[in-house]
Amino acid sequence: MSHITRRSFLKKAAGAASAAAIIPTMSSGWLSIAKAEQKEYFESEFGVSDSLCRKVLAKALYKGGDFADLYFEHTVGNWVALEDGKVNRAYSNIALGVGIRTVKGDQVGYGFTQELTEKSMLDAASTAATIADSNPNEPAGQFVGLKTSNYYPLKRLLTSVPLESKLPLVQSVNDRCFELSPLVIKVNAGFHDQQKRILVVTSDGVIARDLIPRNYLYALVVAEKDGKRERAWWNIGGRRDFSFYTTEIVKSLAQKAVSRAAVLFDAVQPPAGEMPVVLGPGITGILLHEAIGHGMEADFNRKGISTYATMLGKKVAEPFVSIVDNATNPQLLGSVNVDDECTLGQKTVLVENGILRSYMHDKISAIHYKVKPTGNGRRESYEHYVQPRMRNTYMLAGQASPEDIIKSVKKGIYVQDVSNGQVKIGEGDFAFYVSQGKMIEDGKLTLPIKDINIMGNGPKMLQNVTMVANDLEMAQTGAGACGKNGQRVPVSFGLPTVLVKSMTVGGVKA
Amino acid sequence: MNKEMYDLAAWSMKTTLSAGADQCRVGIHRNRFIEISYRERKPENIKEASERNLNIELFVNHRYSSQSTSDLRKDALKSFISNAVATTKLLAEDPYRSLPDPRYYQGRPNVNLQIVDPKHKQLSPDQRHTIVKAIEQAALTTGGEKVISVTASEQDYHIESVELRSNGFEGYRESTVYWAGAEVTAQDEGDRRPSGYHFVAAVNRDSLPSEEEIGEVAAQRTLDLLGAQKIKTQTLPVIVENRNVPRLLGGLLAAMYGRNIQQKQSFLADKKGQKIASEHLTLIDDPLVVGGLGSKLFDGDGFAAKKRIIIESGVLKEFFIDWYYSRKLDCEPTTAGTSNLIITPGKRSVKEIMKDLGRGIFITGFLGGNSNSTTGDASVGINGKLFDKGEPVQSVAEMNIAGNHLEFWHKLSEVANDPWMYSSQRTPSLVFTDVVVSGV
Repeated sequence: MSHITRRSFLKKAAGAASAAAIIPTMSSGWLSIAKAEQKEYFESEFGVSDSLCRKVLAKALYKGGDFADLYFEHTVGNWVALEDGKVNRAYSNIALGVGIRTVKGDQVGYGFTQELTEKSMLDAASTAATIADSNPNEPAGQFVGLKTSNYYPLKRLLTSVPLESKLPLVQSVNDRCFELSPLVIKVNAGFHDQQKRILVVTSDGVIARDLIPRNYLYALVVAEKDGKRERAWWNIGGRRDFSFYTTEIVKSLAQKAVSRAAVLFDAVQPPAGEMPVVLGPGITGILLHEAIGHGMEADFNRKGISTYATMLGKKVAEPFVSIVDNATNPQLLGSVNVDDECTLGQKTVLVENGILRSYMHDKISAIHYKVKPTGNGRRESYEHYVQPRMRNTYMLAGQASPEDIIKSVKKGIYVQDVSNGQVKIGEGDFAFYVSQGKMIEDGKLTLPIKDINIMGNGPKMLQNVTMVANDLEMAQTGAGACGKNGQRVPVSFGLPTVLVKSMTVGGVKA
Repeated sequence: MNKEMYDLAAWSMKTTLSAGADQCRVGIHRNRFIEISYRERKPENIKEASERNLNIELFVNHRYSSQSTSDLRKDALKSFISNAVATTKLLAEDPYRSLPDPRYYQGRPNVNLQIVDPKHKQLSPDQRHTIVKAIEQAALTTGGEKVISVTASEQDYHIESVELRSNGFEGYRESTVYWAGAEVTAQDEGDRRPSGYHFVAAVNRDSLPSEEEIGEVAAQRTLDLLGAQKIKTQTLPVIVENRNVPRLLGGLLAAMYGRNIQQKQSFLADKKGQKIASEHLTLIDDPLVVGGLGSKLFDGDGFAAKKRIIIESGVLKEFFIDWYYSRKLDCEPTTAGTSNLIITPGKRSVKEIMKDLGRGIFITGFLGGNSNSTTGDASVGINGKLFDKGEPVQSVAEMNIAGNHLEFWHKLSEVANDPWMYSSQRTPSLVFTDVVVSGV
């Protein structure tokens, strides 16, 4: 590539794939077409060339520093929404820019610009460079493209899906919800989609591109019974092709939203206090993500502020507990072909048979711990620097049956869904709101419960997992975003049914 | 007024109308900021940038959409706008959509809100580093041997926005905001490593506490978390610390918005004029506070700003109803959102109140939880300090309070004299009696 400019090289490649708006489904053949289509994008649309990247990287390293990288992003997001029976509003957002990072040890200088001109980029690079104060470093002489798999192939670009196709989809969610129950008095429904294109160029000579879809269909239902109102929300999505949103998906979404609202009319608040808690499969994995996963992100451990900082290689759970963080699950919201600093998407075993095996690393923490980065270096957008972040985090299935787990509890609660989770990394303390669940009395599920919190301590909870069922489910959400230090990134999670022998359940009854 | 921003907004408005929109609102937002953090006595992150965004709300044959972009190249904008108009035409008609009646734009106060720090431009990179280093040093000194990690930071923003509406509205807002603080982690018994923090914000740098005070308080708040344990579930009085009140208040405010009222998701929809809290609660929304973080001369609909009493001695006086939902609800609009929210402070300090309360919990942090705007039910994790007759007994964590807003605010027995000044919500500490605090 040193004898041929990137622009001319890419134009040739693009010529072979000029009608690349259609991206075929997963097979080795279509990948090359998709890549060629992506390859030319920042080049043809914004004139980003190898020589320009090298110049900007050289500026980012002109005061020294260990490495630098460029993160180009062009994201198109759309949202159409229904209120009072009609799809009568649409929102869109276009984000364009480049973030420039200079790293020296664990220190980061960062600048970004929304204008992809040489001058603006060099200015942003100068800002990033101020983190270092020694002799200039040179970026690599040539860039080598990173070969990635594709965990979220598209038949059609999301930006090519016309609004006319989305309108009846959203309308049908509304109509289906009203058909399902006479209790329904209001429905808000909508479809979100986002198509993010990135180009990451590192000073050590690696270049990676990705086209990252994200979408979901949602329904919020308000129901009324005997003068009382309840509401519930549900969404289905991920990194999907638009063809995923079939009539069956609409039916399933509406069913879930309506039944979740209707059940609340019979729900009670359980007595407060310590009791066994059974976590149902799937969406409850957010508890694993918040209460345990964050503490295993390497930056918190590198700084000594995580409760897991001294536990690597030690027993943190019973031998039947294994936890992974995985970028490679097809179409799940946390999947990434490549992370935001050019490390391949991969699966990372965090806890293996009860032993803490690895933290989740970005490049900075990987250098600190003298290990390979695990592909967890992620950022919200070009406006943000990379941090170790989770992807799809889940506990592997165990041997027990879910029925046996429920039978084993004399008095406790069964948690079907939680939200608004928050954790204090250093203490490990967390609180979750239980939005759907049931009482367990004498080994049987009884009354639905609502409006309570469960409180606990992440490491203690992990130690207190005494049964794991064989029914692992992953959350099929498209709306889940995890916040950390002001940055939100999409994630997914999963859990089999598990028994936690004791947790604090908050309520109004002493 | 920033001429470059104004010209681009005017060009975008003209282009949008030429492309077929009946009405439009164009907003351009610009934010120049610097963020610096230190850890282990060296810069951890230095970030500096300028961001711009253009937002257009379009009204085409009573159809509505809102579109934003950071790609402000004129060619890109032209195609962005023509796509936006075409997209909007495809949506279902919504007869309630229009720009506000221009009479609500009238009467904009002619006052200087003093929300731009004249000294901001003079703040040098070296001064910023000096500020952060001083905060870090103070936190390390106060924290002593227990400290594992201190991250001190300073951020400052210069924000400008221009807004034009095609029926005769022009608005410009310029402000500065400073943030400073530290997060401190300390070693507790076993593997517990509690983190505490102290962050303050202000329009003017001179309104912030000294760097030494910021660092000291951050460290002290962390040391206060050491040895925290949950205690037996019991009914106690609680004092919610001033800076944490907005979290509680948020649950009440959510039910006051026009959208939630019209969409039948408000537990307060039929409570206007009724007593929803004890007589100790008076809540005011005042956009005209000099130097206030939420101060503005016009609201999100362009309505001229004015002070409003939202709750007076426990009686709900007003909702936040924007133009669109006022039309759907067939009522007079008030304002699109909050500006500076002020709870009228009481006379006594938290210390004095504690002495008379007997045994209770001073809540210094909330965790997780939920508040349901439809039913008013709420549940949230807490941590803080158990006290007895004004004396600290122990730190508590992993505990929870729950209830319904319609009952909970009637338990408000006193408001302290300590409004938190470093936020657009100037809330004093609040005392609630007979609250079930669940733990063991």
